[in-house]
Amino acid sequence: MSRLLARMATLVRSALRGFASSPLTSGVAVVTIAVTLVLVGAFALLVANMESVLVRFGDALRVTAFLEDGLGAEAQQALVASASKLQGVESVSLVSREQALERFRRGVGRGAALLEGLSENPLPASLEISLAPQLRSSEGLARVADAVAQLPGVSDVASGRDWVEGYLRGVALVRGVGTGLAVILALASLLIIANTIRLAVLSRRDELEILSLVGASRSYVAAPFLMEGWLQGVLGGALALAALYAIFRLVLPGLEFGLELVLGGVAPRFFELREGLALVLAGSGLGLFGAAVAVASESRA
Amino acid sequence: MRLYHVSKSYSAGHFALRDVSIEFARGEFVFLTGPSGAGKTTLLRLIFAAERPSEGQILVLGRNAPRLGPRAVPPLRRRIGVVFQDFKLLPRRTVEENVAMALEVVGAPRREVRAKVFSVLKQLGLQHRRFHHPPSLSGGEQQRVAIARALVNEPDILLADEPTGNLDHELALEIMDLIAGAATRGTTVVVATHDQAIVERYGKRCVRLEGGRIVEDHAAPGGMP
Repeated sequence: MSRLLARMATLVRSALRGFASSPLTSGVAVVTIAVTLVLVGAFALLVANMESVLVRFGDALRVTAFLEDGLGAEAQQALVASASKLQGVESVSLVSREQALERFRRGVGRGAALLEGLSENPLPASLEISLAPQLRSSEGLARVADAVAQLPGVSDVASGRDWVEGYLRGVALVRGVGTGLAVILALASLLIIANTIRLAVLSRRDELEILSLVGASRSYVAAPFLMEGWLQGVLGGALALAALYAIFRLVLPGLEFGLELVLGGVAPRFFELREGLALVLAGSGLGLFGAAVAVASESRA
Repeated sequence: MRLYHVSKSYSAGHFALRDVSIEFARGEFVFLTGPSGAGKTTLLRLIFAAERPSEGQILVLGRNAPRLGPRAVPPLRRRIGVVFQDFKLLPRRTVEENVAMALEVVGAPRREVRAKVFSVLKQLGLQHRRFHHPPSLSGGEQQRVAIARALVNEPDILLADEPTGNLDHELALEIMDLIAGAATRGTTVVVATHDQAIVERYGKRCVRLEGGRIVEDHAAPGGMP
């Protein structure tokens, strides 16, 4: 155990020594990882927030079934019962013709005076059908709307499907751009880290020669460089998380209009602890992989 | 330690060593002499598995050195101390850190490392210099640090390649006394040198190489070591 601890302590000291001996190159690697992860994190946050809009507006995602004129109260209640039994339906409420007119009147405000001239109520009775949470999607809306349309006594069905589909296309676009950008930036980061570690290997040729002379194993020689890359990744990830949080707290409130447009007034959320840790982990993975590439290519040289 | 019909060539037709067979007994002190390019350094490098022979077998501490895989070479090297003419010290590390490297690679606990490093530095008269950096030391002191690094693991074999090449005569004798001291403690010592005065002064077994071949092998007067 004490040997393992001694080994770990030597390893960390050696990695820190490497870090300190070339602060500029190491700093560039850390900043590169941080910039990559800030951009990737920003896209991830945007996608997560856009997706949460669908969940938060889930209550508003409902199917409205307009009923044929002349259906009696009993037939309407029978329809409510039938609709409630459909798969994926959470709740069904009946809106009578009178209630519909009253809502319309409240909705148009001062214009309600125009309705005074109507001799009869032109609005049909309807069923407002809420979806179970797992079906609050474009497909869910379509499935329930199709099933409701088959019910006898239903004249027409309206759902927010088009809106949901458009919004989902937007989310997919943002996710696609984000993923593409993430891949390109991650490759660029890998190259920079690999070069940083390669420079570190070259600048410590003498040390490596002596280590080999006194019987250091390959893994012993490689470990400090891997640790150095990993450390750069962790620092880059932490820096990115801090920068994203600063942007979220300080810059985002100034972009109220744009946010309103994309998120529909839903308050944006920051990463949860788990997601923040995943970002740092991604940084450490980038650092470690970049260092592994450099060590492998140098040991072949 | 035995070499059987060992040859080493770096390019076709040019041999650094040619059909060399030799045996070193445990605790023996042997000088390898000969002009530059005779093959002394190549012979030492083959023993600590820095290179593989083109032909022949090399038995070192019970292992066939040329056949060792990459994982088996480090454990062998931990039992062999090597000293070079140019010291091979890290200028940014202190004397203590330079010597400690040989123990750190085997994962020795920090306290044990400090104790052993202090002990070997004291033995070589360098304990007061342990926190200094190599560039601030004299040539003789730097070579003593290199010897300390080679001996701190209490190796079975000590190889020295022109260890006194950069030192004046007085210092050279001082360094050779330290190296010879290792042999009295049971370590097999092989010193490559072209300094005939030193060879004559110590009166040990002397193997002379020329053009990659052994041309003379004088046993120590009065037997081993």
